[in-house]
Amino acid sequence: MNACEDRLDIETVFHAHYERIARVIARVLRDPSRAEELAVDVLLKWSRNPGAQGEKASAWLYRVAVRAGLDELRREIRRSRRESLVRFFRPSPTPEDVRAAREDQDRVRTVLAAVQSRQAELLILRSDGLSYEELATALNLNPASIGTFLSRAEHTFRKEYIKRYGPQ
Amino acid sequence: MDRNRDKWVEERLAALRPDGEWRANVSRGLSRLRERRQLNGNRKRRWSWMAAGAVAASLPLMAFPTTRAFAQRCVSVCVGQSNWVHGFLTRNASSAVPSSVLVKPTERRMAPDFALADAFGKPVKLSELRGKVVLLNFWATWCAPCAAEIPWFIEFQRTYESAGLTALGVSLDEDGWSAVRPYIEAHKMDYRVMLGNDDVAQAYGASSLPTTFLIDRSGRIAATHVGICGKGEYEADIRRVLDERQ
Repeated sequence: MNACEDRLDIETVFHAHYERIARVIARVLRDPSRAEELAVDVLLKWSRNPGAQGEKASAWLYRVAVRAGLDELRREIRRSRRESLVRFFRPSPTPEDVRAAREDQDRVRTVLAAVQSRQAELLILRSDGLSYEELATALNLNPASIGTFLSRAEHTFRKEYIKRYGPQ
Repeated sequence: MDRNRDKWVEERLAALRPDGEWRANVSRGLSRLRERRQLNGNRKRRWSWMAAGAVAASLPLMAFPTTRAFAQRCVSVCVGQSNWVHGFLTRNASSAVPSSVLVKPTERRMAPDFALADAFGKPVKLSELRGKVVLLNFWATWCAPCAAEIPWFIEFQRTYESAGLTALGVSLDEDGWSAVRPYIEAHKMDYRVMLGNDDVAQAYGASSLPTTFLIDRSGRIAATHVGICGKGEYEADIRRVLDERQ
């Protein structure tokens, strides 16, 4: 069997995966243009990592993409916490505050940043439409246990959400 | 209770969908990728020049016993920094070797036969294509890497049809023809596309998409490509199998 992706040049892989990787990251981040930047970073990282090239290249790409998105999200949340201290002294709402009215998304993102990375990765990739088998390959998990992992991740997500924002 | 919980979490996560029909800008991404690669290349080149300069400067110091240890240390650091040169050379050397993924004719196994209907309802039976080289591609409309390969298969079919090539697409879309037919039209797929089923996918072991088989004129599997392949590799394999004597 020939695992061809080990001999592919980066631009072919770019055309095959860029849009989907960027979309996965854009689910996690508020800024889609930042998601596009990170997607390029992920592809460059792939090209420098010989271990990632091969049959499981696409699994590697999705795993690293969702991690990159979550890391950036956590940085974003830390930054906004610092900024909110400064904002406390500002009387009128800024356009940024208005944009922050996308409460739903922000709440979900905050909860994803708070739960374990593996659980957040699982939830994001699942909501992006990956099958159980694809999830198992992408996250190096036993396919037979995916259902259990997923159900645990959902439970944790719900608990963390209710703890922060109350039952909805 | 479980189902409610799934639905509740799903609804929350669905809020994360990028706005509207947002799609990443491919041309912007591509130019960014090229820019970054160029930048990395320049950085590596700069490092190698600096390392070469430092080695050259260290060599005269070797002549004196008192400075020899220092010079040796400098050289080893510089050579370490230039390891990418070694990687670069070996990578190029390995990619220069022509990829020989074809199974030897004596070791090939028969391709499992199947009969599936194409988009026009006409049956396609693999065993009736004996005497032709068949490029059999398992794909789906939602599979991004598959989409990258389809234009190549269209081109191969046009170029090598007279030499005896037949490209066949087996879609594993769960939504059936309602998803596949519009896709065939939109992508101008002029080779034959059938709707697959679990039995066929299982018989071929096509558990991930895309998976492509090159079947020789005697109906035996000459090459199996899992995942997206370089266009040149496909073409080289096709030519070799077309040139084989039956």
